[in-house]
Amino acid sequence: MQTLTQHQVDILRNHLLLNGSDPFLLDELLDHLACEVEYYVWLGLPFEKALEHVQHNTDRQTVSQLNKTYYQELTTQSDNQLRVDTLDDIVFENRNKAYGAYDLRQMYPKVMRNALFLTLGLFLMLMGLMGGVSKGNWSYASRWGVMWIVGLCTTAYGGGNWYLQSVRQKYMIRE
Amino acid sequence: MESSSNEFLRGTLKTIVLKMLAERGRMYGYEITQSVKERTQGQIALTFGALYPVLHKLEQEGMLLTESEEVDGRLRKYYSLTPQGTETAERKVSEFERFVEAMRSLLKPQPKLTVGH
Repeated sequence: MQTLTQHQVDILRNHLLLNGSDPFLLDELLDHLACEVEYYVWLGLPFEKALEHVQHNTDRQTVSQLNKTYYQELTTQSDNQLRVDTLDDIVFENRNKAYGAYDLRQMYPKVMRNALFLTLGLFLMLMGLMGGVSKGNWSYASRWGVMWIVGLCTTAYGGGNWYLQSVRQKYMIRE
Repeated sequence: MESSSNEFLRGTLKTIVLKMLAERGRMYGYEITQSVKERTQGQIALTFGALYPVLHKLEQEGMLLTESEEVDGRLRKYYSLTPQGTETAERKVSEFERFVEAMRSLLKPQPKLTVGH
């Protein structure tokens, strides 16, 4: 039986990708369709006709139906999986996670916390400084001094966390 | 057999796949559809849309082993039964045989029992 050339296989791969084939199934589907095309070619159809016929049978609707059954079949069984999944995982189950929105959502609570610490810390530092200046003499034991120290610690904590997180993200280190 | 057979097929797909693999040892997806088609003279045509979810599901349940091989410049995934899969295949086939027996006796025309009163 005549086998397809790399170029012909690529045409099929593009067709599958355009119709939204899942990456988990892509290689297998590609092989399946290629076998079908080869079969029709073997029966005597020219490649273009065979391709057309096979592509007609794998339109967007069929592929999305397949993806749906696939996810239903493979996710209903694992109750443990459901407990591990966060709301984000459920929302992004059939969506492209690599695009970025998933990561943004995942990081949101941490970013919020760091921002809150930084704001609070800077505010306390400013208050402490202004209080100290208006009083005239500076002492760490006074109310303004304590406010300054607490503010400094909070800012350092928030800033440190923020820095760590950005480093982690940069080198893609998973916690 | 058209759309109505799909309804019957849905429940037996696993059994069919397990049975084919038990007989042939190692097969890839397209090969399974083709040999089912040949064996049933085209009566049962498995679509890829139905087949692959079942294959992956069975793999997830630990019934199947997979091996990927490059054939003609593309990846081909071969499936074979695990010991657990072999066991399940035997059980499913014998269960299904019993079911077919039961169906047959249901479909058999019954002589009308009209005992005179």
